[in-house]
Amino acid sequence: MRILVIEDDKDVASFIRNGLAQAGCNVDHAANGRDGLFLATTESYDALVVDRMLPGIDGLTVIRTLRASANTTPVLILSALGEVDDRVKGLKAGGDDYLVKPFAFSELLARLEALARRAKTGSDAPATVLRAGDLEMDLLRREVRRAGKPIDLQPREFQLLEFLLRHVGQVVTRTMLLEGVWDYHFDPQTNVIDVHISRLRSKIDKGFERPLLHTVRGAGYRLDG
Amino acid sequence: MRLPRLFRTNVFRLTLAYMALFALSVGALSAFIYSATLGYLDTQTNAIIEAEINGLRETYERSGLGGLRDVIEERAARDNEQERRSFYLLVDPIGRWVAGNVPAWPTGANEALGQWVDFVQSGSDTPVRALLLPVGAYRLLVGRDIRELTAIRQVLRRASIYGISLTLALALVGGLLLALSAERRLAEINRTTRQIMAGDLSRRAPLRGSDDEHDELAQNINTMLDQIENLLEGMRHVGDSVAHDLRGPITRLRNRLETVAAAEKPSRDDLADCVAQLDQVLSTFNALLRIARVESGAYRSAFTTVDLKPIVQDVYELYHAAAEERQVTLQGNAPESVEVFGDRELLAQVLTNLVDNAVKYTPPGGVVRIELARNGDRAQLRVADTGTGIPLEDHDRVLQRFTRLDRARSQPGNGLGLALVNAVTLQHHGRLTLGDNGPGLVVTVELPALALPRALIPSAAVR
Repeated sequence: MRILVIEDDKDVASFIRNGLAQAGCNVDHAANGRDGLFLATTESYDALVVDRMLPGIDGLTVIRTLRASANTTPVLILSALGEVDDRVKGLKAGGDDYLVKPFAFSELLARLEALARRAKTGSDAPATVLRAGDLEMDLLRREVRRAGKPIDLQPREFQLLEFLLRHVGQVVTRTMLLEGVWDYHFDPQTNVIDVHISRLRSKIDKGFERPLLHTVRGAGYRLDG
Repeated sequence: MRLPRLFRTNVFRLTLAYMALFALSVGALSAFIYSATLGYLDTQTNAIIEAEINGLRETYERSGLGGLRDVIEERAARDNEQERRSFYLLVDPIGRWVAGNVPAWPTGANEALGQWVDFVQSGSDTPVRALLLPVGAYRLLVGRDIRELTAIRQVLRRASIYGISLTLALALVGGLLLALSAERRLAEINRTTRQIMAGDLSRRAPLRGSDDEHDELAQNINTMLDQIENLLEGMRHVGDSVAHDLRGPITRLRNRLETVAAAEKPSRDDLADCVAQLDQVLSTFNALLRIARVESGAYRSAFTTVDLKPIVQDVYELYHAAAEERQVTLQGNAPESVEVFGDRELLAQVLTNLVDNAVKYTPPGGVVRIELARNGDRAQLRVADTGTGIPLEDHDRVLQRFTRLDRARSQPGNGLGLALVNAVTLQHHGRLTLGDNGPGLVVTVELPALALPRALIPSAAVR
């Protein structure tokens, strides 16, 4: 993945650059809005990480300018402002996802991968069948089968599996699940998501040799293909 | 040049305008009375003179000039000098006196035959109105004393002038008094606001109990000040809480990091532990910020119609698996939609916090029950558990920030759960009550419910 990071804080920028480089990404960095806008318009990236508060041109203006010139590169907004209205403002400006500082690197990486993936597959006709290995989900008939054997899921388990299938092979964090499946943006103190995952796991992995749903320590979950 | 303060007040300006209006109307009234009264008296005087002339004309026609002269002589002799009311004068063609009680033809009236003339009778200074007529080649003057008319005219004039002056004076004095009293009330309020601006926020504008608009203004200002004071108090409280309750964990974390840094070979587990501790600090910090933000009313502008039923369903569905893991039965009961005006996310967090607490503090085998019901115009959200409950004397205390009762020490949490629930409930104009579930705790959140759409009211209720 080729990523552009527009971030003026040196420490945060190098933290992101090192992490992304270790994850095998090709990273460019701009320390202000003007340089970032220049790079974003002249080079081609899989995703952008844009800090909201930048010297010169601020982050939201950078995104608006890109969108106005029909640049559709997915953008992840980084911000210290984390309330719902801040989030809405960021997404309205053309951001695709919003991450509040301070953040765990695994969260950033998981969200970036999801964004880049969505941008690549998003243009195709919407899939009616999602697959991971021998697991198959028919979205029209609301049916799930593994190795041909039907699996009975509750509606919310179905949504949860659908979300994981749409991010197959990627790490999905607990917050992403709470946002994507339940549409809530706060953090329940008890880790209720874990329980839902373990129930889902027992339904789709039990009795099969190869487990599909993995726990990624300190980050979240991954459904393997 | 600046006018004295009083003359710049709005009330005073209004008073001046009123004063002008009053003077104008009194003036108009006086003018009407003046012209109507004088007009009537004039007509009457003229009518008397005309009647006399008619009588004299008949005499002239009957008995000629000699008869006329005799009648004039007779009538002129009738009144004495002082009480004389009627005046007559007959002169020959060259203007010499022939008969009558007026010594000479009034000057300047030679050309005015057939017209009314006002003159002053020389000698007695009596104002006279007269009609001048030709009688053959002779000329006749018949007049009437108009002393009364003149006197009344003067009285009326004087009355008008006095009336208008008095009106103006009264309006001016009244205006000054009004302006002064309004100015005094406003000055009190201004003095208070100045003191507050200077830093003394405990000041309040004085009330008089008169229930007028000044009292209302003072009352509104006072209410606003109460709110500001509450907000400041809240801010100070957040500051204190941050200092008091974050300093502890941050200090521990710092010590831990120092130990890790000093170690020969820092272990991954140690570092992961530090990150986990830091995450806990951050979660506390975020919870504090959120409470402060909720209390500041920042979410209110985004309030919309929210149905509590799907929220109950969501939270039930989110927690029932986690509850089962702990061998706690979670029950949800939301038979009907109940709509409130609020923020979906915050209300969901309220219920999440309550259910989270209930599940955490209920021993295995217990039951946690979520109930949503409409109670008249209130939406009632109840979370009841069969845990150890909270002693009555601690009910107030647990709503404060960072209160963690002894039973909670063993559980993870930042002690901000109920404080957030309380803050959100208050921002939704609701009420939070804790009760005994015998055994266990029952928390009730009551919110103002929106009226049912008519179509949804059961027909029995309509009848």
